Amino acid sequence: MGPLIVNDIISSNTNLFLAFFIGIAFGFVLESSGFSSSRKLVGVFYGYDTVVLKVFFTGAITAMIGLLFFSLFGWIDLTYIYINPTYLWSTIIGGVIMGAGFILGGFCPGTSVCAAAIGKIDAIIFVVGIFIGIFIFTEGYPIWKPLYMAEFMGNLKINTFFNISSGTLVMLVIFAAAVMFWIGEWAEKKFKAPKY
Amino acid sequence: MEKEMRKKKSRSYINPYIGGILLGLTVLLANYISGRGVGASGAMKSTIVAAVESIAPKHADDAMFYKEYSESHAGNPLNSWLVYQMLGVLVGGFLSGILARRMTWKVEHSPKITSRTRLIFALLGGVLFGFGSQLGRGCTSGSALSGMAVLSLGGFISMMAIFGTAFALAYFVRKLWI
Amino acid sequence: MKTRIIITIIFVSLGLIIAAVPENTTKPYKLTANELLDEVKSGTQFVHPDQVADMVVQQDPTLQLIDIRSKEEFEKYSLPGAINVPLNDLLSDEWKPYLNQDIYLNVLYSNGTTRANEAWMITRQLGYKNNYVLQGGLNYWVETVLNPEKPGMTSPDDEFAKYNYRKAASNALGGGGAIEQKQDVKPAKLPPIKKGNKKKMVQGGCS
Repeated sequence: MGPLIVNDIISSNTNLFLAFFIGIAFGFVLESSGFSSSRKLVGVFYGYDTVVLKVFFTGAITAMIGLLFFSLFGWIDLTYIYINPTYLWSTIIGGVIMGAGFILGGFCPGTSVCAAAIGKIDAIIFVVGIFIGIFIFTEGYPIWKPLYMAEFMGNLKINTFFNISSGTLVMLVIFAAAVMFWIGEWAEKKFKAPKY
Repeated sequence: MEKEMRKKKSRSYINPYIGGILLGLTVLLANYISGRGVGASGAMKSTIVAAVESIAPKHADDAMFYKEYSESHAGNPLNSWLVYQMLGVLVGGFLSGILARRMTWKVEHSPKITSRTRLIFALLGGVLFGFGSQLGRGCTSGSALSGMAVLSLGGFISMMAIFGTAFALAYFVRKLWI
Repeated sequence: MKTRIIITIIFVSLGLIIAAVPENTTKPYKLTANELLDEVKSGTQFVHPDQVADMVVQQDPTLQLIDIRSKEEFEKYSLPGAINVPLNDLLSDEWKPYLNQDIYLNVLYSNGTTRANEAWMITRQLGYKNNYVLQGGLNYWVETVLNPEKPGMTSPDDEFAKYNYRKAASNALGGGGAIEQKQDVKPAKLPPIKKGNKKKMVQGGCS
């Protein structure tokens, strides 16, 4: 029963070793879906290429459904899965800053590493930028710390927040995604993709 | 002619929905094996911490962030799950690039701007993304994608903040891209 | 185009199934007497004062100190940020949301360890998680954190480091004594948080 590491089915070194292979799968999927091209990535914000929308939401939904079914079959104990904690303000403000970085730089950290791996120079520069950004954060940490720690809401699940079952929530996300995919494909027809 | 080009293009990248399913299965596998999702910016933070610890050990002892980091993370910061995973991403991206013959040194930019402008904005975007990912406790992979997969409220907020802001700003910087 | 419709149909049907089936709530977690005895024997419920002091100094928002002594004692002296849940009222509905939750790390304390431990056992028996006991209670806290004893000259370096660290914490927390500077000593590594579960917790996210 999973997670394997929690139940001592694998050792922590094996866990690190497997992380490498999970990374390979992650990188391979990102690159082969076209996430190594910044102009393809930002296409979602101009409507000419919505591959980000499709891959991102299909991915999130697949993982959500997978986890719930795994739990249903007793293959995984969801209480031991890491739930990202919610610190309201830092999440919102951090997300806004990341959004600005996304539209200016054309990558996010994961995709920039993929693109750097196939020789995109803009991606390599973007990675350098990320290191500088992180360094600014770690050096000025005492300044941001109050914001960083503000409004802690615990390792809160969104379905608990809305007081519905996780299955219902996933179903709602699927409906929303189906509509977004439909709009996305409509936009791709409407806005002509530049050659890149 | 155009049809042929489109055909060629669709062969070179996999279908986005299939890509999405594979991506989801990767996240699922990470959760099944390690009880956690994938990430990217965390590995870069570990690298920064390790670099500071080896270049300026005294500073690493004094400055608040590194102190708190070494208290909550035992051992070498580079010996972490995310760092190995990120090395895998490099290899995975490289393999995919080779198989699909996409390996080229190039700067990708809109014909309306120069390579130089593109690189300046790439650096600026990187700085913002790096900073934001630390403040927001994870980037698009670690916070938004993996967070959403485990139905974390923070993951959903993160996703909406990132894509919402980028969408809102897109019009003003359209020259960079189209 | 065609893929989208196939994907939509598959996902919507899976979504309907997962919404319709009851959630797999792995049996309401209650300990058997044996399991509880095992936990008591291994002492996993204890958190060391250094650990708590560190969290207080860092203003860790996940820490919730719970004073289980009487109201009078609480008003006379309490730890920063603590709430008062007298042992007699432990089971009142008022305190249930504080004790049965999965957001904060609750650290129960009394003067010694006995009463806090009793409170912990009751909450544990009810199946509540995230409750811990301050090791040694307030007495030990005062001894280790507020008035640390200076180690002897022959003590190993890390004893001094611990001492300096505690001095610093004591200063931050309003105890007496100045910090003694000793340049080349790193602050002591704090003991890791002991989780009450036998299984290890996973680290995750980008932190």
